[in-house]
Amino acid sequence: MYENISLIKEVKENLSRDKAEEVAAEYLHKVALSHIGLLRVSQCTAREIFYTMFIRALMSKKNSILIVLPYSLIKNLTKIDTLIKNIEILNDKKKNILLIDTVTNENRYKGYSCHIIK
Amino acid sequence: MILRFIENIGNRTISSISSVFEALHFTTLCIIHMLNPRSYNPAMRMVLIKQIYFTAVGIIVPFIIMAFLFGSVIIGVVISLATEYSLQDKIGSIIITFVMDEFAPFFTALLISLRSGTAINTEIAVMSVNRELNTLKEYDIDIIDYLFLPRIISGIISVTSLSILFTLIMLSSGYLFTLFYMNMDFHTYKFLLISAIEIKDIVILLLKSIAFGFVTMLIPIYSGLKTGNSYTAIPISVLNGMVKLFIALFFIEVLSLLLQSL
Repeated sequence: MYENISLIKEVKENLSRDKAEEVAAEYLHKVALSHIGLLRVSQCTAREIFYTMFIRALMSKKNSILIVLPYSLIKNLTKIDTLIKNIEILNDKKKNILLIDTVTNENRYKGYSCHIIK
Repeated sequence: MILRFIENIGNRTISSISSVFEALHFTTLCIIHMLNPRSYNPAMRMVLIKQIYFTAVGIIVPFIIMAFLFGSVIIGVVISLATEYSLQDKIGSIIITFVMDEFAPFFTALLISLRSGTAINTEIAVMSVNRELNTLKEYDIDIIDYLFLPRIISGIISVTSLSILFTLIMLSSGYLFTLFYMNMDFHTYKFLLISAIEIKDIVILLLKSIAFGFVTMLIPIYSGLKTGNSYTAIPISVLNGMVKLFIALFFIEVLSLLLQSL
């Protein structure tokens, strides 16, 4: 997963592999996923893959990140709150994070720390 | 009926010409990227090292065995034929021309095509079907720099270095054959080769290896890139890529023979 995350830093910022992987490790550590650093995609859970994809998206220069149907991306996701908290922890660059979901899932977001826009 | 036939010919001609131009455009793009120092970022260099390992180092043991076996038999045939036609005094130049100019680069290119060409064609085709190439593009990662260039450069380096190795092995097995068949000592054999070798032979070996290495990787990559959206398109892509690659290899071989005969 280190390789997966560090690629953008290596290509866009010409960062050496070691330094780019250090950055990747820091991000994974923030959400207590340091153990997946040397694993391959097939060895990771849907939740671990989701955070890797999110960190990778944070590395890009785009200002907004769209997360489409999080409950489908992470099958065993029960509470969106932990996910939102981890997203806030990771989002040190203060990018716009938009969660897109169907109306049927509306109740799952009520009462949590995010704005719901219809 | 005739009109439709003519239209059909026209359409096919236009599509053939446009696909040739598209391929040439892709080749030019790859060459431009190859010459641009900015293409050589740390990620690209890491892929390049891995590719050289997979293409050249991974094959080294079977390659040496194959080069020795094929080399011994073929050089044996060449030497015995030269003796049969009383061309012993020309044996040095026959061996050098045959081994360095023709056999070593061509045989190496064939081996690398079969092993790495097919693998790369499949890899790119699978990436294309799985839309992994689109993901890389979404992250503004230049797929020519990150995916294609390391493979093309590794092809050039691998084919060139393995051709040189093949030549050395074949010349060594040639010595063994002359020792047992003609009772020739090492110094005479060495003298024969040294007096026969010219700068031209080294240049031909290097240029042919570079050309072979370039197409051995470029054509499978291009073919993989042109794969449709379904998994069933992958074997068709590999099949088409390999046919085009072998045509290109033969074309380079014939072209070099023509140029040498001028």
